[in-house]
Amino acid sequence: ARFHGNPRSGRWELVGPRPPLAAMFADGTAPGADVQSLWRSARSARCEAKSCQTGRISTAETAVQSHTSRDAGVQTDQSKDAVQDFQQEVQVDYTSLLSFLQRVEDAVIKELNKNWKSRAFDGFEVNWTDQNETVLCLHTLSYPEAQDQNLQVTSVSWNATGSVVACSYGRLDGGDWSTEKSYVCTWNLDRRGLNPQRPDLVVDVPSSVMCLAFHPSQPSLIAGGLFGGELVVWDTSRTEDPVIWRTGMTDDTHTDPVYQVNWLPDAKHRNRARLLSVSTDGKILVWREERDGRLALAEGFAMVAQQIPRSTQLKKFAWGEAAVGVTSLSFSHFDPRVFVVGVEGGYSLKCSTAAETLALHRAGSSVPLRAPAELAFSPHGGPVYSVSCSPFHRQVLNLFLSCGTDGQVHLHSMLQTQPLVSLQLSKKYLFCVRWSPVRPLVFAAASGEGNCNKCFCFVGDVHLFDFGKSSQKPAVSIKQAAGECPVYCLEFNIKQTQLLAAGDATGTVKVWQLSSDFTEQGPREMTRLEQLASEITD
Amino acid sequence: AEVEETLKRIQAHKGVIATIVVNGEGIPIRTTLDNSTTVQYAGLLHQLTMKARSTVRDIDPQNELTFLRIRSKKHEIMVAPDKEYLLIVIQNPCE
Repeated sequence: ARFHGNPRSGRWELVGPRPPLAAMFADGTAPGADVQSLWRSARSARCEAKSCQTGRISTAETAVQSHTSRDAGVQTDQSKDAVQDFQQEVQVDYTSLLSFLQRVEDAVIKELNKNWKSRAFDGFEVNWTDQNETVLCLHTLSYPEAQDQNLQVTSVSWNATGSVVACSYGRLDGGDWSTEKSYVCTWNLDRRGLNPQRPDLVVDVPSSVMCLAFHPSQPSLIAGGLFGGELVVWDTSRTEDPVIWRTGMTDDTHTDPVYQVNWLPDAKHRNRARLLSVSTDGKILVWREERDGRLALAEGFAMVAQQIPRSTQLKKFAWGEAAVGVTSLSFSHFDPRVFVVGVEGGYSLKCSTAAETLALHRAGSSVPLRAPAELAFSPHGGPVYSVSCSPFHRQVLNLFLSCGTDGQVHLHSMLQTQPLVSLQLSKKYLFCVRWSPVRPLVFAAASGEGNCNKCFCFVGDVHLFDFGKSSQKPAVSIKQAAGECPVYCLEFNIKQTQLLAAGDATGTVKVWQLSSDFTEQGPREMTRLEQLASEITD
Repeated sequence: AEVEETLKRIQAHKGVIATIVVNGEGIPIRTTLDNSTTVQYAGLLHQLTMKARSTVRDIDPQNELTFLRIRSKKHEIMVAPDKEYLLIVIQNPCE
């Protein structure tokens, strides 16, 4: 640079070539680097387009039509024994048979004699099954809706296969005519999902059901007797309307509650049964099924006070033509025409279906009623609520039990009026008595105080009595209800003999499993029973 | 004939409930019981007797079954075996 001008107002100025202004930085764009993609071309370099086609599938259209079919039924014939003729078909060589018998006869007679005198097996008993020592409550079944209405269990029944128990709800202590709705409930105990509060089937019934009975061979039919005197038969396998037969309210039906209903095998038609109903209006009626779902009266009996035979030892009561209220009935197991009834007057009567004399009954009915009573036994101190004939006894002296409100159980033989044994089981009423189906010396009785009064309640008991152990007091007394209400009904299960069902006034049914000594027959029970029966007093 | 008399003698013995004669195939030829019970006894006891006989011979081949007695709670069944026949007697040894 050179100084120009005078020092007072000079200016400096650049000397020399002036450098370019923006020599070092300049804008510019640089071309970016890029790589061409090869994959498409690479791919297409290696791929080839191809197509394929499946070979021809041969198809054909055809139609199939089943041949016409026809329904046919097959039924095996009953009671034709296939081996009836075996004795004629088999060729018997008598000489060789004779020589065989002669050879063995001596040995057999010797063994028979030895056996008769042998004392080797006295008191020797073998236990094949585990002994169950106690009585357990297996199930406690109830229907809460019925319990809310304070209904009581009036009757229990086991079905033909022994796996279903049914109970009827109603009232046994209501004296007035009631139009209360009630129920019939069934539980299948062999089912896995058994809910004790929820019955498998609940049938609504417009009035109280007083008694129930399952059909002895068809597992789904139940008959029930109503408070109004009607009989109804339900079929539990039908879902829409289980009622299949009913008597309806006709001139023939009972005018009082039906307290017991039984199925009778019909002698003429094998697979049809007839129903028998017992009521406190004094009539015992036998019904048969009609086609339109009705039950029609087949034959009937009426108990009128004048026609009851009295022995000289019993006092005469002036009943006149009053009807005698029948509360229970039991058929003899050995003579199907003989049955025993218990009446409200405290008597048990032996009756026969073959009786011929007509009853002096006032009301007209479509079938003439007969008077069946043949023998009156010595009375209880109160109405008889239950009678039961022994299923075991072989000889003519049929045994039966009767129980009533005097708390006594009488063991009678049908040949004499005085009881063989008279037991004061409890101070309470006895509502039901049943023989055990397996042990000839055992029976069960249901007791309890008659009124379920809130202040004076006694615990209901089921008493199991064994004549082999003690003739005076029960072998086992089971307290049924933790609450305090009487036990009204009980039934043994014939197929599963260790089960006993009992229904009480709180509306529960308890299924008890009995200990082994109640289910296995001892070696000499029948003879002991026969001894008991032959202690006839004069 | 004499066959009947012999059987009657056995049947009349103290406590005898029933007498059955079975042939070699298990078919009953004489009996004092009803048909269905007889067939049941004959079939079952025939099989049991064969089994008992083979048991005795398996244990000792020189031995032979002579008599079979089955004692149960209610009665005693006695079987007299033979080559061609079987005699079954059921007795109630009432003490």
